[in-house]
Amino acid sequence: MSSTQANAPSVNRRLETFSYDDQIIRWFIIATVIWGAVAMLLGVTIAFQLADWRVNLGLPWTTFGRLRPLHTNAAIFAFCGNAIFAGIYYSHQRLLKARLFNDILSRVHFWGWQLIIVSAALTLPFGITTGKEYAELEWPIDIAITLIWVVFAVNFFGTIIRRRERHIYVAIWFYIATIITVAVLHIVNSMELPVSFLKSYSMYAGVQDALVQWWYGHNAVAFFLTTPFLGLMYYFVPKAANRPVYSYRLSIIHFWSLVFIYIWAGPHHLLYTTLPEWAQTLGMIFSVALWMPSWGGMINGLMTLRGVWHKVRTEPGLRFMATSLTFYGMSTFEGPLLSIKSVNAIAHFTDWIPGHVHSGTIGWNYMIISGILFYLVPKLWNTELYSKALANVQFWLATIGLVLYIISMWVAGVTQSLMWRAMDSDGHLVYPNFIETVVKIVPMYWVRAIGGTLVLISFLIMMYNLYKTAKKGKVGEAEVFEAYALDESSIEQNAETHRKLEGWPMIFAVLALLAILVGSAIEIVPSLLSNKYIVKMDAIKPYSPLELLGRDLYIREGCYLCHSQTVRPMTHEVLRYGKHSEAAEFVYDHPFQWGSKRTGPDLARVGGKYPDMWHYRHFFEPREVTAGSIMPRYTWLYDNKIDYYSLQKKMSVMLALGVPYSAEEIAAGVTNAQAQAATIAKGLVEGGVPAKVEDKEVIALIAYMQRIGADYSKVEAP
Amino acid sequence: MSNSNNEDTKLHVEADEKHLLLDHNYDGIHELNHPLPSWWNFIFWAAIVYAIGYFIYFQIMSGPTLREEFKKDYSKTMLLQDEYKKRNSMYKPELYAAVANDEGIKKGAEVFVNNCLPCHAEGGRGDIGPNLTDEFWIVAKSTPETIYNVVYNGSEANGMPPWGEVLSSEEIYLAVSYVSSIKNTHIKGGKAPQGEKIDE
Repeated sequence: MSSTQANAPSVNRRLETFSYDDQIIRWFIIATVIWGAVAMLLGVTIAFQLADWRVNLGLPWTTFGRLRPLHTNAAIFAFCGNAIFAGIYYSHQRLLKARLFNDILSRVHFWGWQLIIVSAALTLPFGITTGKEYAELEWPIDIAITLIWVVFAVNFFGTIIRRRERHIYVAIWFYIATIITVAVLHIVNSMELPVSFLKSYSMYAGVQDALVQWWYGHNAVAFFLTTPFLGLMYYFVPKAANRPVYSYRLSIIHFWSLVFIYIWAGPHHLLYTTLPEWAQTLGMIFSVALWMPSWGGMINGLMTLRGVWHKVRTEPGLRFMATSLTFYGMSTFEGPLLSIKSVNAIAHFTDWIPGHVHSGTIGWNYMIISGILFYLVPKLWNTELYSKALANVQFWLATIGLVLYIISMWVAGVTQSLMWRAMDSDGHLVYPNFIETVVKIVPMYWVRAIGGTLVLISFLIMMYNLYKTAKKGKVGEAEVFEAYALDESSIEQNAETHRKLEGWPMIFAVLALLAILVGSAIEIVPSLLSNKYIVKMDAIKPYSPLELLGRDLYIREGCYLCHSQTVRPMTHEVLRYGKHSEAAEFVYDHPFQWGSKRTGPDLARVGGKYPDMWHYRHFFEPREVTAGSIMPRYTWLYDNKIDYYSLQKKMSVMLALGVPYSAEEIAAGVTNAQAQAATIAKGLVEGGVPAKVEDKEVIALIAYMQRIGADYSKVEAP
Repeated sequence: MSNSNNEDTKLHVEADEKHLLLDHNYDGIHELNHPLPSWWNFIFWAAIVYAIGYFIYFQIMSGPTLREEFKKDYSKTMLLQDEYKKRNSMYKPELYAAVANDEGIKKGAEVFVNNCLPCHAEGGRGDIGPNLTDEFWIVAKSTPETIYNVVYNGSEANGMPPWGEVLSSEEIYLAVSYVSSIKNTHIKGGKAPQGEKIDE
């Protein structure tokens, strides 16, 4: 880019002809619609599983713990991902008056991404997972994601280099922030050491793993579900409404403040945990400060509709866009609210959180994607929308379904939270049995499942509507456009600083990178450098070989999706579960398993709480020991044999990650594990269990359950 | 500009904002330059001031930490519990006597079903926990007082959780009343005896 010489305008302007690559957009649109239906079908399935445990079907690969990661990955990366690529590639070409950088790269991008999604569907239901929420995919897929993302970036920035428009529009600012930040987040959070082709352990442990994971997790929401869609909003809302964007000034201020502040907010997922309190406080205060930067996008979107609100009533696309901005505003108000420590104390671990998430993903993402598709499909297939009436039905089903979802989860979350903390005048819990608080909210799980079903039906209606639209239209010859090559004539003299910056996209990208690195570095680097970050405790020892294998089963079955492993310093939690957690307890936990939701009780102090026999009965049929339980049955643990094959390799990898196993311990790993299994089995057989259970997976899982928190339970609380 | 998509409708600009229209055009998209809404500006800066103030008070000055707040609250609760314990942990024969009757046994059976069934099984025939319908005893020794103590304090060595903090005092007496009513009834299919035999 020659942006330094602002000499006299050239007289020889070169007129160029070009066309846009719209075929790739059509492909991404088709993928969006197909994966969207899959993601929502999975969502509805797991919603019914929570309402009635029998919907788990008794099969390993249909159980909640395996399907829930598939739902989240499909919704975020398959549905929203393909929609982002479709929308960005469509608008990027037009905003820059340039065809996408390379047609082959576009196709590699498309097929690479679909393969990644298929590989997710082929691994997650089989328990192949890293056990980190929203980053469950194993290391080979992580590498594939990185490569395809680089392809996307090259294609994107290559197009910028070949642009025929001097300045980059606000939509592209958001795309740039998205591409850069997602790359940084994905690479840093996916650092893991492989054990085998489909198994790895996170490089980080305990508190540090939690910090990196939620820095990633929160900013996946920020930079995968928010910034790219804000960019798309800035293109499609003014286009669909034929209105100028409300405020250029607001665009600048809310873009930079959003990008700078968002990245700090991750630790609000870890309030009251053993993360150092200064980091928790940063997470909270930056979330509060994020409120107005988020609303800047809503204001710019809604105020752009000034004077054309009548079109919102008649144009389905605009109506979905306007509604999505309203839900965006609602959930970006709810987010800062939930980040305030005292509110978070009530809401965290409850159903309020999935309620909040879905007001964003359904209300904002699904709605705006619908709006964009209603704009794009008629254009790309050269026709009119098949049926406005169907779009109308879709709109109301989706809205009513979502409102049922949000309200049922508010009620469930607040009800259960109040029951957890209710105490009588003698200082005792009013509902000491966790199951009482579950049974109470099961009716709300039914309401949510019904609401979700309505949303799914609405989506299927859109699918049909778009299919009929495309079918009656036809793909024409690519239109040929003319524009002058970029030359000095478009350099604005005496432009303000930001305007100049818009003419220097690469410098813009570097500044955006710096903006997201500041918060990331300040929050994460201390945990990597300081050995005083976590005060170690001598009593905390590494897991025994059998417990390590049991822990891998815990991860495989996705137990962390319903059970937390961290007791917060709150009176009612300490009364319910036992001593609150300490950072030192987790130093050997690669990955950490604190969880984010308590559909079932916390397990940080479960070690030694029940006899082995209790667990043996419980995993087979939870309702036999806890009447009313909604936990699935895990009968296959009683058939599958413990896999000792990779045990030594696992211990060696742990050693490489800093877990102090000695060479002798690793060499004797299998022998020691079998001995521990035999001891547990002996006790069970004496209690009446059929013989020959010592080589079954359930024994390893019991060994792990009995170890969780056990080391610290022996330590006198200070 | 010449090649931007020609929409069938023209760009809609309100009369009062024509002077705010900037000379920007991206694929037909124009930009106005409205000033920042004043309420937006106010909350934006107020939130930043609040954030800085909050950090200074709680992380740099002497604001209480979450742990300190917890300790204060927890010790208050412990005082309440201690008083309760003083009143209830000791077995009181007169409280037992009040429920050692048919109605007490019936109510006690309910407490048993809701809390003890998972381990001691239907009718107390024993499963994870011991059979309560024989004359063998591990920790409790058949008398209401010893049963009360095991229920109240639990027996860590044998995997029995303490119920003193979970159940109300009345519920524990009711449960003891029920358990006393089933001992030595030798229910069919009961678990093998554990502990020492106690003849009465």
